[in-house]
Amino acid sequence: MLYFIGQVFPYIAMGVFLAGLAWRVLTWLKAPVPFQLTMFPAPASAVERVTAVGKQLCLFTPLYKGDRTLWFWAWIMHVSLALVIVGHIVGIYFLTQQFTLIGLSPKASTLLSESLGTVAGIMLLLSLLALFYRRTAIAEVKRLSDPADYFDLLLILAVVITGMHMRLPTVHVDLPVIRTYLGGLLTLQPVPIPENWLFISHFLLVNILMIYFPFSKLVHLLGSVVSRAMISEAPPVYPTPAGVQRQATIFAKEGQSYESSATRGQGTGSQSRGV
Amino acid sequence: MKVPLHVAKEQEVKAAGFKPTPETEIKEKFLAKLDDVRSSMRSIMVMLETCTKCGNCAQQCHSYLGTNDYNNFPAARAELMRRVYKRYFTTAGKLLGRFYGAEEFDSELISKWMTYFYQCNECRRCAQFCPFGIDTAEVTIAARHIMSELGIMPKFMAGIAVNMEKSGNNMGIPKPAIVDCAEFMEDEMRDETGLDIKIPIDKPNSDVLYVPSSADFFTNVDTMIGAAKMFHHLGVNWTISSKILEAANFGLLFNMNVMREHNQRLKEAAREVGASLVVQGECGHGWRAARMYTEGASGPVPFKIMHVLEYAAENLSKLPLRKLPLRVTLHDPCNYARAGGVIEQPRQIIRACVEEFVEMTPNREENFCCGGGSGILMDEMMEIRMQLGKKKAEQVKALGSLDYFAVPCSICKAQLPHVMKHYGMGSLSMGGVMDLVGKAMVFDK
Repeated sequence: MLYFIGQVFPYIAMGVFLAGLAWRVLTWLKAPVPFQLTMFPAPASAVERVTAVGKQLCLFTPLYKGDRTLWFWAWIMHVSLALVIVGHIVGIYFLTQQFTLIGLSPKASTLLSESLGTVAGIMLLLSLLALFYRRTAIAEVKRLSDPADYFDLLLILAVVITGMHMRLPTVHVDLPVIRTYLGGLLTLQPVPIPENWLFISHFLLVNILMIYFPFSKLVHLLGSVVSRAMISEAPPVYPTPAGVQRQATIFAKEGQSYESSATRGQGTGSQSRGV
Repeated sequence: MKVPLHVAKEQEVKAAGFKPTPETEIKEKFLAKLDDVRSSMRSIMVMLETCTKCGNCAQQCHSYLGTNDYNNFPAARAELMRRVYKRYFTTAGKLLGRFYGAEEFDSELISKWMTYFYQCNECRRCAQFCPFGIDTAEVTIAARHIMSELGIMPKFMAGIAVNMEKSGNNMGIPKPAIVDCAEFMEDEMRDETGLDIKIPIDKPNSDVLYVPSSADFFTNVDTMIGAAKMFHHLGVNWTISSKILEAANFGLLFNMNVMREHNQRLKEAAREVGASLVVQGECGHGWRAARMYTEGASGPVPFKIMHVLEYAAENLSKLPLRKLPLRVTLHDPCNYARAGGVIEQPRQIIRACVEEFVEMTPNREENFCCGGGSGILMDEMMEIRMQLGKKKAEQVKALGSLDYFAVPCSICKAQLPHVMKHYGMGSLSMGGVMDLVGKAMVFDK
C-alpha cells in the first residue's frame, strides 16, 4: 500500500493533472471565436493587451472595483498559495539554506525560511476559512453553492492543515529525507516514502487534489486566461484587411431551424407587427 | 408554458421562418442545439466552465437589483444553462451529478429560460466586474438562439423577424411610406432653416450609406434631422437605403441566423449604392451587430463602418454650433460603451452643443442599462421593465434638475420615457445626441 501511495500514485496524479489540464484547454481552444467579444475601452496594441490582461489576472482589478472584501480575501488566498508553492520548491531544494545565497548565516536562513512559510501558511489558512465563511454567509452565494463548491475549499483546507501541522514545534520532520524522496520521484528513481504519517497524509491529499483539479471549477486557473484574452481581443478593422476570415461555424451546422423566405419559397401571409 | 411574456404561437413561429418542435422531440433537439452552440462558441464553453460562483456579479446587475429575483443574479441566470451543460457535456457532471451541480433536462427548464433569459438586457456589466471576464450576455445570446431554433420565441421577436425579412426594418415600413416621411422632414427643415436639406432614399452612386433606426422616421425624427443637417453642411454625398432602413438587428437578440441575414442585407445595400463608408445611426445593439459581428457573420467587409456619433465627433470643428442653454446628462447605451467603443464621442458632441453637461454615476463603461436592452420592450412586460429601469431612474434622480436627457439609442428612447414617468420624472425631455447637434447648428440664411 505504501509502495502504491509513495511510488506509483504520485505519477498517476501528475499525469492526470497535466493531461487533464491540457485536454480542457485544448477543447476550449478548438472551439472558434466567431465574433470579437471586445470589452471597451479596448487595449490599443498587443503589448497593452498583454499588460491589461496581466494586471487583471495578477491584481484581480475587476474584483477590486466590485466587492472589496472578497477582493481582499481572494487576493490574499491566491498570493499566499503562490508563496507557499514557491516556498516548498525553494525551501526543500535548499533545505532552508536558500537565504545563505544572499549572505545570511545558515541559522538565520532557516529561521527566515520557516517564518515566511509559517506566515504564508497562516494567511492561506485564514483566507480559505474566510472564503468558506463567505460562501455560507451571503444569501445569494449560499443558494448558488453546490456541495462541490464546499468540497473544493475543504480539500485545500485539508492540505493546508496537514501541512501546517508539520510546522508545530512538537512535530519533527526530517527535511533531508523528504528531499531525497521527492528527488527520487522527480528523477524517475522513486524511493520508499518516509514513514511519517503526517507527511504521507499531506502528500496523498495533494495528489488527490491534483487528480480532482482538471475536472473541477479549479480550472479557472487557466479558464480566466482564455476568457480574459477573449474579451480583450482587438475589435475588427473595416474595410477588412486582405487575408482576414473569421469562422462563424454556428451558421454552418446541420438542422438549422430558421429559413428565410428566399429559400423556403414565397413569403407568408402573417401581418404581425414589431415595435 | 407560464412566462411573463407572450410566446409566439405555432403559426407565428412558422411565419417568422422557424420550424416548431413537437413536445416529444424537445429534449433531444435542445441537447443537440446546446452541443452545437458550445462547439461553435468558445465563450460558452469557457464561461460555463470557469465560474467559481463567487457572487461578485450580484450587486453589479441592474436586473437583479431591480427585480430582487434570485434567477436574475447573473451567475444564477447562467446556472440555468450551466447545470444542464454540466450534466451532459462535462466529465465531472456526468460522474458526480448533483454534487457537482449538474442537473437533468426537464420540461420546466424551457419556461425558466424564457422567463429569465428575457430579463437579461445583455448589457455586459457583469463581465466588467467578473474576475474572469465571464460575460452573461454571451450565455443569454446562446440561450435565446437555442430556444428560437426549437421554435420557441417571444411573439414580439417573431413579429419583428417577419417585418425585417419583408421590409428590411422592424416596423415593416414599405418604401412609399419612407419617401413620404423623408419629404415631411425635408419640409420641416426648409421651414426652419430656409435651406433645401435632402434626405435621399436609394440614391445611386452615394459615398456614404446612412443606416438610421426605423423609429427615426416616426418617433425620433429629430435624430434623423440632426444627421441630415450635419451631412448637408459637410457636403456629404449620402443616402439611406430602403433595403436596410434599420440599424437595429433583432437577430442578435434572439436568433443568430436572423442576425446574419440582416447583416448581409447591410453588405448588399452598401454595394448597391456604391458606398465606401457605412454610418450607423443611433441604435445600440445595431451598432454592436454591425461593428462586432459583420466580419464573422458575412465574411470580409469591403467598406468602412462608423457610428454617426464617431462621424460627428470627427467633424465637430466644421459644424456651425451655438451652445444651447441646457443642463444635460448622458446615458451611455451599453452597446456603445462596454460593447461598442463609442464612449468619449457623445461627450465631446454634447459639450459642444450645450452649456452644461453633467455626468451621472457610474458612467461610461460602468454605466447601468436602461432596462430595455436586448429588445425587452414587450408591452406585457411593462411591470418588469420598470423594475429593470430602477437603477437608471435612481442615477438620473441623483442629478437634480435637468433640461435634457441624452439617450442616443432607439431602445433606450423607447424604454426610458416609461421609466422616467414611472419614477416621477415624466416631465424630463429626452432624445438622442444627434437631436442636439441638429438644434445647435446655426445656418446662414
